[in-house]
Amino acid sequence: MSELTVMAQASANAGACWTCPFCPLLCDRFGVAAEAGAAGLHLTGSSCRRAAEALARFKPGPSPSTPLVNGQTTDLDTAVAAAARLLQGSRQPLFAGLGTDVAGARALHALATDIGAISDAAHGAALMHGLRALQDRGAFTTTLAEVRTRADLIVCIGGSPSASLPEFFRRCGLGEATVAARHVVLLGSPADGNAADEHDALARLPGITVEAVALQGDLFDTVALLAASIAGTAPPGAVNEPLRKLAGRLHTAHYGVLTWEAARLPAQGALIVEALNRIVGTLNRRTRAATLPLGGGDGAATANQVHAWLSGLPLRTRAGPAGLEHEPLRFDTDRLLADRAVDTLLWVSSFGAARPLTLDLPHIVLGPVAMAGQLASGTHLPSVFIPVSTPGIGSAGHLFRTDGVVLMPLHKVIDDGLPTVADVARQLRLALTALRVNPPQ
Amino acid sequence: MTTVLLHGGRVIDPTNGVDGDQRDIAVRDGRIVAPTPGEPADLDIDVSGCILMAGGIDMHTHIGGGKVNLARLLMPEDHRAGANPHALPANLLELASCGTCTPGTLATGYRYAEMGYTTAFEPAMVASNARHTHMEMGDVPILDHGAYVMLGNDELFLAMLARGADFQQIRDYTAWTMRATKAMGVKVVNPAGISAFKFNQRQLDVDEGHAHWQVTPRQVLHTLARALRELGVPHPLHIHGSNLGVAGNIESTLATIAALEGLPAHLTHVQFHAYGREGPKKFSSAAVPLAEAVNTHPNISIDIGQIMFGQTVTASGDTMRQFANADLASPRKWIGADIECDAGCGIVPFRYREQSYVNALQWAIGLEIFLLVRDPWRVVLTTDHPNGGPFTSYPHLIRLLMDREFRNEQLARLHPEVAAQAALRGITRELTLFEIAIMTRAAPARLLGLHDRGHLGVGAAADIAVYREQPDREAMFSVPDCVFKDGTLVARAGRITALPVGGTHFVEPDYDTAGETTLRTHFASHGSVNFDHAAISHDELCSCCNGGRLLPAVCFQGET
Repeated sequence: MSELTVMAQASANAGACWTCPFCPLLCDRFGVAAEAGAAGLHLTGSSCRRAAEALARFKPGPSPSTPLVNGQTTDLDTAVAAAARLLQGSRQPLFAGLGTDVAGARALHALATDIGAISDAAHGAALMHGLRALQDRGAFTTTLAEVRTRADLIVCIGGSPSASLPEFFRRCGLGEATVAARHVVLLGSPADGNAADEHDALARLPGITVEAVALQGDLFDTVALLAASIAGTAPPGAVNEPLRKLAGRLHTAHYGVLTWEAARLPAQGALIVEALNRIVGTLNRRTRAATLPLGGGDGAATANQVHAWLSGLPLRTRAGPAGLEHEPLRFDTDRLLADRAVDTLLWVSSFGAARPLTLDLPHIVLGPVAMAGQLASGTHLPSVFIPVSTPGIGSAGHLFRTDGVVLMPLHKVIDDGLPTVADVARQLRLALTALRVNPPQ
Repeated sequence: MTTVLLHGGRVIDPTNGVDGDQRDIAVRDGRIVAPTPGEPADLDIDVSGCILMAGGIDMHTHIGGGKVNLARLLMPEDHRAGANPHALPANLLELASCGTCTPGTLATGYRYAEMGYTTAFEPAMVASNARHTHMEMGDVPILDHGAYVMLGNDELFLAMLARGADFQQIRDYTAWTMRATKAMGVKVVNPAGISAFKFNQRQLDVDEGHAHWQVTPRQVLHTLARALRELGVPHPLHIHGSNLGVAGNIESTLATIAALEGLPAHLTHVQFHAYGREGPKKFSSAAVPLAEAVNTHPNISIDIGQIMFGQTVTASGDTMRQFANADLASPRKWIGADIECDAGCGIVPFRYREQSYVNALQWAIGLEIFLLVRDPWRVVLTTDHPNGGPFTSYPHLIRLLMDREFRNEQLARLHPEVAAQAALRGITRELTLFEIAIMTRAAPARLLGLHDRGHLGVGAAADIAVYREQPDREAMFSVPDCVFKDGTLVARAGRITALPVGGTHFVEPDYDTAGETTLRTHFASHGSVNFDHAAISHDELCSCCNGGRLLPAVCFQGET
């Protein structure tokens, strides 16, 4: 076996804990190791594909990377000054991506408020499905420990979430003795080999029964029919047998959980979420049920929470000339970029190398070292790139878990020598203040 | 060395027995010092015509954490001015932040400080949400803050109680939870009831068994109150009792007091727990029996949870009761959650209406309790922000308590039966400035064990509110002339002048660490977080709280 340097591992002591920042489950029972001679970091204690792939992108040591201004390498101070000038000259800046932790979101919020920038996350559209349904009608939700301890029926809307959240069913405690018998329903699973394999694997776990239920029509139709069936308001014959059976199961379950993945919902997905919330509302009059929203990763839920607590309003808000404006539809990154409704973009992506729809406008990018190559080539537009540390890899931090309740601490496992998003945002704010007090001639 | 001299004002400082004497207050390095005659001060302010009090302390106000932020998300309409956005602040020191019943943390700090308050306690921190709660409190500028962690509905506690675990084990677990979450106190909400709702139980009386664990609220109350007493935690058990809002709940409230068997406890938002079921509407005031019980039980302190008419949102850990009230939501939407085998929450928007019999009576009941309890040192002024109304209504509430004519004018506008029959009409008591100073600063400081807060004696923290004396007490308490936080002038005539970062109050009771093995096993078999992540260290707390000072309170010698 090759030599492994253990960077962090679970269960040794608090100092050596690691929290995986790469999906919104934020698992904290695995470890990270650096294999001698290997290019990237290595996941221990789990076979999670998503975490392993993400870790492989990070070098075990410092990352020799410098900021770029208009494609030319430079130092941090020069890059911050250039970025401040871009923001100073902007009539309507957009802060998007927002892939950062609580500290980064706090610092970006202050900067955005100062200059009237619109703030939206890379997964803003997905985030708004749940948020808009919540704003209109509310919700009843549950958390991972509750699911693990008491859910006897888990209904996965749109099929299994494990393609994007490989640890999901383990986090739900499937196969553990805590709940003697659980039934898992995959509602609307794709009919492919992977789905069939997973179905079989789950069914082999002790105490678990699994059932695939097909959609009746599209997802909008299906949840509407299921809601009507549960409420007893469906016209006779309108709801097919499998869905009626599912409605019956939900009524007789002690604690039914409906999970839905924001990123997999189609446009106007808020309507689907609203129906799920309504289903849970009906069920809770007789038995117990709750939804478990899955999503908000890469800092999206975190930025949303931080903005909401500081200003009172969530993302897709700006401190505009008329005041604090919250526009869940209009302040959409893709729409704003496509309409050229903003003239400068600050893109933040410290967990991965996600890119915006276009960089065809003056832009500032705060991202991992790997993004430099993508951005440097052939742009004539003013641009600034500042490599930043990834929370949970090169720096400590905090992220909200998918259920929105647990704020997980993230730990530094390597010394990457890079500034955090919060560091850069604070420096930018200082530089902008200096520009205002002492404008260039 | 920064010095401040406030001269010519009248001082009301109940802790030190000072009632309106004219005396100078001197400040050096954030502390109150004896004035040195002839020594010039950096900031010398003539405060003649003003009343000086210690900075206000709100010991029960939902200012931060999971349910508060959910309430903000649920209520975008609270962050608009009708169809228009809220205008940006004119003061360049302030960042845009808005909301009345669900203000952003920044607005919370600005509005409290402008009103002369310098400390606020979040009363319902869920252990699994503690980091989030501290983050939000750290983003409340100016104010010092702290939180009470919720116990008594977590499955581990109930399981230990059910299997008859050693009391010492439960006491250690209580201490561990407080240390881990950096709490200032422990709150129990609907004892065992939040958990019971997860098992589909819809109601739980003080002597009724939990559907699954079979323990009763009485056992939960006594166990927790005893644990805190033995641990020497300065603030005794903070109790949100059973059957909140239910007609006839005075019986549970009196049973709760009895369950304590003389152990000290604080009953919170008692207005919501003082209802009879007499009269044609089967809903009546039980302020008299409640006040009598408080008057005859010196171990009990209370805060009121006064309701104020208008739009608000109720945010509570009491999932069972919030579910029961959800159909009354206005606007018609609500949020509920089952949380981490630990707690729950329910957020129900609500509009208290003057012409509603029930709401009008709730208003009268709150005021009756304020005026019928004899010892002001055991009564704290709260609206249970935002549940009874937003904290910005405190000046109005103070006027209601100090001005009988004004109070009766307001009463006359309410539902006619309440206006005609409420016992409040016959109550002549008008609270004095001295009593208001007790209920808004001296008493909460004493009940929390904050020895250097809530008073203006030498050595106290220089948290000072300077109110221009005027007959309209609402106007007087709305906009103090000056407010100091640790000696820094933070507001002048309703305008924020400085934004220091507040500190965090917490306690760290001692316990036997041997029990951590059980906790580790429990976290591994039932939890969703690594046990090694359960506790917040001092360094992490500091980063959560924006680098604010850590203010650990000292435990007294516990009594076993």
